[in-house]
Order: sequence, then structure tokens, then C-alpha cells
Amino acid sequence: MKLRRRLLKEKEVEAINVSPLIDVVFILLIFFIVSATFVKVPGEEVLRPHAVTAESLEKNAILFALAADDSLYYAGETISIDEVRPLVEELRREVNAPVVIQVDELADATKLAKLAREGKLAGAPVSIATRKPE
Amino acid sequence: MKRRLASFKADPVEINVSPLIDMVFILLIFFIVATSFVNEIGLTPKHRDTADPTHRLDPPVAFDLTGEGRILNKGAEVALAGVAPVVRAASARKPKPVILRVNPGAKAGLATRVMDQAMLGGAKTVKLSAVAASSPK
Repeated sequence: MKLRRRLLKEKEVEAINVSPLIDVVFILLIFFIVSATFVKVPGEEVLRPHAVTAESLEKNAILFALAADDSLYYAGETISIDEVRPLVEELRREVNAPVVIQVDELADATKLAKLAREGKLAGAPVSIATRKPE
Repeated sequence: MKRRLASFKADPVEINVSPLIDMVFILLIFFIVATSFVNEIGLTPKHRDTADPTHRLDPPVAFDLTGEGRILNKGAEVALAGVAPVVRAASARKPKPVILRVNPGAKAGLATRVMDQAMLGGAKTVKLSAVAASSPK
């Protein structure tokens, strides 16, 4: 008896209105399209130094990572410092992106100076990524 | 003809939206996966490379970072917290550029902190320059 009533009820169920769902999905889609900045991440997690005067950096940037063992990463691969200048020049021909160096606290400072110099010589503004002071 | 049009209007065809939804979902997933939220904060020590030697404006405030991690200003050791006052005193009348000479062995974290302190002291341009490994420490 109960079962029959339930079956009857289910038959009465109308089609679900999907238009609000589509609306929400469209909004999400537009949000992700707008916020997408296809940057190549270096793929190496580094411990950034603390800094108090840090400002928000450009999101669409050419990212390099200088790890604690002084190896240099770009887009998930290790590269040598001599490759930096042609690479930055090549990339900046398309978009006017600045260079951001993610440097490890324990990396050699001379390596950082050389990398910053290479970026400058390629004509790009160079920034050093930091952390908020604790 | 007239009759056909009339019957067409009277009997509206329901558009099947499911393929559209599928497409939109695929696009959505693509953009979710492809988005990398890079949100970096950091220092931008601007400096002009003046190739023209006559364009020398002011003598910069120079700091040396030794391989052992000591900070020297005009040969005298200063603490990390003492960098900002030195820069502030030097650029009291006019902002002066700061140059940070790093020796091999110095840590990038310390160099960045010195730059941070120099910028805290009012320096707009901080130049990082590497000292060759052959030079005496």
C-alpha cells in the first residue's frame, strides 16, 4: 500500500529546472576565464625571505626560482644562468611581463645578484618575492 | 504555407540544452585546472643602469655583505636594524641610491633583508651587485 503510493508520487515528479544551475556554472566559468593568467610556475618550493616593505607584485610575471642549493628553475626545469637573458628577451617580445625571482633564504646572494642583473639587462623590471614578516 | 507557419508557432520545439551544459562544464573544468593563483608579494628595487658615466648623480650609500653574513658600511659593521637609520640619515635632504655589494657565501635571505631595510629607510633604488669570487673578502 505504502509502496504503491510512493510509486505514484514519483511518477508525478516533474523535470528539475536546470536554468539556475546553468546560470551559476556560467558565472563560475566567466570568473575562471577572467582570472586565468597562464603563468609558468617554477615548480620548486622555496622559503622566501621575510620583508616588511613588500608590495603586491604583478601576477602575469616571468617566474624564476633560486633554490637553496643555488640551482635555478624555470617552468619546472633547471636552467643555467646564461639562458636567462635570451629567455626573458624572447618572452618579453610577446608580453611586457616583469621578472619575479623566488629566492630561497639560504641561496647564495651573488647568484641572486647575477640573476637580477641578467633580468635587468634583458630590459625587464626585476622583483624579489618575499614573505610577510611573522 | 500560412497554415504551416501557424502550426509551427503553435507547437514550439524545445531546445535540448544538455550538450550545451556539457560543453560549459568541460570549459569550466579546463579553466579551473589551468588557473594558477600566483599571488606574490615582494620587493622591486628599481635602479637605472646608467651607461653614461657623466650621468652620475649622487655617490650611493654602499653596503658590503661579507661571506660570513656581516653587514659593513664604510668599513664599519652595522646590525641589520641599523641599515634603515644609516640610509635615512644619508638621504635626509635628497634620496640617495643604495648599492649592496654581496660577497660569495652571503645568504640571499640576508641580502633581501638588507634591501628591505634600505627601502624602509627611504631608498628608492637599491642595486645588488656581486663581488667576484677572486677578490679578497
